[in-house]
Amino acid sequence: MSQETAQVGHDHPVEKPKVVADQSKPVVTPEKIIQAIKAIDQGPKVLKLYMENCAKCGTCATQCPVYYGEQSKKYNPAARSDLIRSIFKRHCTTTGKLLGGLAGAREYRDGEIEEWAEHFYTCTGCRRCATYCPMGIDNSVITRKGRAILDACGLTPDTMKKVVRISLETGNTDGASPQAFKAAIQFLEEEMKDEHGIDIEIPLDRKGAEYFYVPPSGDVLVNPEATTGIAKVFYVLGLQDKWTMSSQYFDGANYGLFTGNDADMKADNKPYIEEAKRLGCKTLFMGECGHAYRIMKMIMEPSKWWGELPFRIINCMEFTAQHIKEGRFKFDLSKNAQPVTYHDPCNFGRSCNIVEEPRIILKASCSDFREMYPNRGENWCCGGGAGLSAMDDIIKFRMEVSGQKKMAQIRATGAKYVAAACSNCKRQLSQLMEFHKEDIAVGGVHDMLSRAIMINGKAAERVEYD
Amino acid sequence: MNLVPYFIGGVLPYITVLIFVIGMVYRFYIWIKTPQPGKMTLFPATDSTLGSTIKETLFFPSLYKGDRVLWFFAWIFHVTLALVFLGHMRVFSGFIDRMLIDMGMTPDGIDTMSSTVGGAAGIILLATGIMLLVRRMVLQRVREISGVPDFFALLLLIAIIATGDLMRVGAHFDLEQTRVWTLSLLKFSPVIPENGMFLLHALLAMLLVVYIPFSKILHFGGIFFTQALVKRR
Repeated sequence: MSQETAQVGHDHPVEKPKVVADQSKPVVTPEKIIQAIKAIDQGPKVLKLYMENCAKCGTCATQCPVYYGEQSKKYNPAARSDLIRSIFKRHCTTTGKLLGGLAGAREYRDGEIEEWAEHFYTCTGCRRCATYCPMGIDNSVITRKGRAILDACGLTPDTMKKVVRISLETGNTDGASPQAFKAAIQFLEEEMKDEHGIDIEIPLDRKGAEYFYVPPSGDVLVNPEATTGIAKVFYVLGLQDKWTMSSQYFDGANYGLFTGNDADMKADNKPYIEEAKRLGCKTLFMGECGHAYRIMKMIMEPSKWWGELPFRIINCMEFTAQHIKEGRFKFDLSKNAQPVTYHDPCNFGRSCNIVEEPRIILKASCSDFREMYPNRGENWCCGGGAGLSAMDDIIKFRMEVSGQKKMAQIRATGAKYVAAACSNCKRQLSQLMEFHKEDIAVGGVHDMLSRAIMINGKAAERVEYD
Repeated sequence: MNLVPYFIGGVLPYITVLIFVIGMVYRFYIWIKTPQPGKMTLFPATDSTLGSTIKETLFFPSLYKGDRVLWFFAWIFHVTLALVFLGHMRVFSGFIDRMLIDMGMTPDGIDTMSSTVGGAAGIILLATGIMLLVRRMVLQRVREISGVPDFFALLLLIAIIATGDLMRVGAHFDLEQTRVWTLSLLKFSPVIPENGMFLLHALLAMLLVVYIPFSKILHFGGIFFTQALVKRR
């Protein structure tokens, strides 16, 4: 690493996330925090093992996007995890109780929780450290525990709190009403009519539909081409009447994963499962949202939150890639002539193994696809993971520290379009391009498909979106 | 009778075995029974959880990808440590010698092999151990997360290695005496070795063994658990 990159962070002191103590929560006492840490002794197994098995070799730091951006102790993953680990040792291990500091244990310092938001909200939860840790220790699990303690104390950063509240109140993280959503869908249908000269439907609330499509709300309200892409896929396959969206539940995003609050995460998840049952779908068809798919596929389903499910869970990219392999679509590659690269969102790549599918879609619909290195399970985080990309109060940190490596990686590809199957990544990446004055477009995977797929013998006559 | 040698040679070995066995069984039992909801799989993952966990334990492939310099020192250090551990079987029993002689080796040949291979292993261990210590002191990212237990574990190991090496190069060492000692311990009527350097070496080694179930040195057992969790599909 050059001296130049090593110094960036020091020239610009990093801002703190805005936290306003939640008056509705009980008063924070040291006992309460110590109690929460002692609870780790009862599990989950990962967390307990991570408290007791770190060899302090420092490998995580070499692979962390945040530490790469600035080499200071507060960003060292093992040091951050030690905030909790050292207190756990003091209260739950024999040596910690007997020897204290000599065993790497320490007592909770009254009031230190006030500083925790800054620490645990500068980890992007990307799990890259775990990929390279000789022990397989996943620091994001400890980060989430730290955030859970903050949340129980009412000290979750304001932005995060707001997103969770809006999502629980309205069913989506944008706080959009069903009317607003329907208007947006109607606009997309008109758009597709302009593009192809025919009616391509986006069915809403259709009972008995086989596929229930749950995107991140951003893929309807902010970067809607991903959703038009999905609509076109179903249209070409002749499944126009076999799928549906819900006008009430159209956002798989679930910030309970990021605030560490399991009750919120479940409460946010439940209406989607109920809606899928109400619609009688056979497939919960998750959109381009990494953490939403991960919660459904790797957490909710295997943990049996809601018992046995009457439907399967797949990702839209698996579905489309499968049909591309079967030769069901034709593409006009001249529509996507610019160099395109793919950023593996951490929740899709490392956590769910959806890595080949987006590449199949992009290679089929773009004429110049370029790999970014490293990629797939080894890809670097965009710098906005674990909900950070929603936090504009730490934007300098995201642009100059956590996103630094990503920016370099993208520049090296020479691509003019970065596809990312994740609304959080897309927001972070767009801001990175603007901040670093790069003329590189950012969008989704099905967006590229939407622009090049042939319907009625021709691809979309596209008006320039920007 | 001198109390200190008697304690080291005649009492501590029993305490050590007792604490180690109970400690290890307890730790593993707790780890196994602690519940784990949800999946923690890290991709790419193979279909064989056991296979990839064993591979991680034997060859450290994740570390190889992550920090090749550390992998080089750490892998050599751990492998040599395992070999030296196996080599010590010869110190405690004549069984290995008899087996080797049956296979056609001469007693002189065995001694030569022991002093060359064992001697080299001792030097390699010392060198890589010191390198790990230097790395911990010099590299910022490692220094800033290192505490007393991290230095203590390394220094204790280095002290054990150094006292062991000293018995090879200068200090007196009598193979017969250690074998008599082992046998006498098994018969619960300890015959205390008189070799001062050996007693020091044994004392430090037993300290280490007692310390294992209570410290991060247990990572050699923990790795099975932590790696299996992220490798499980």
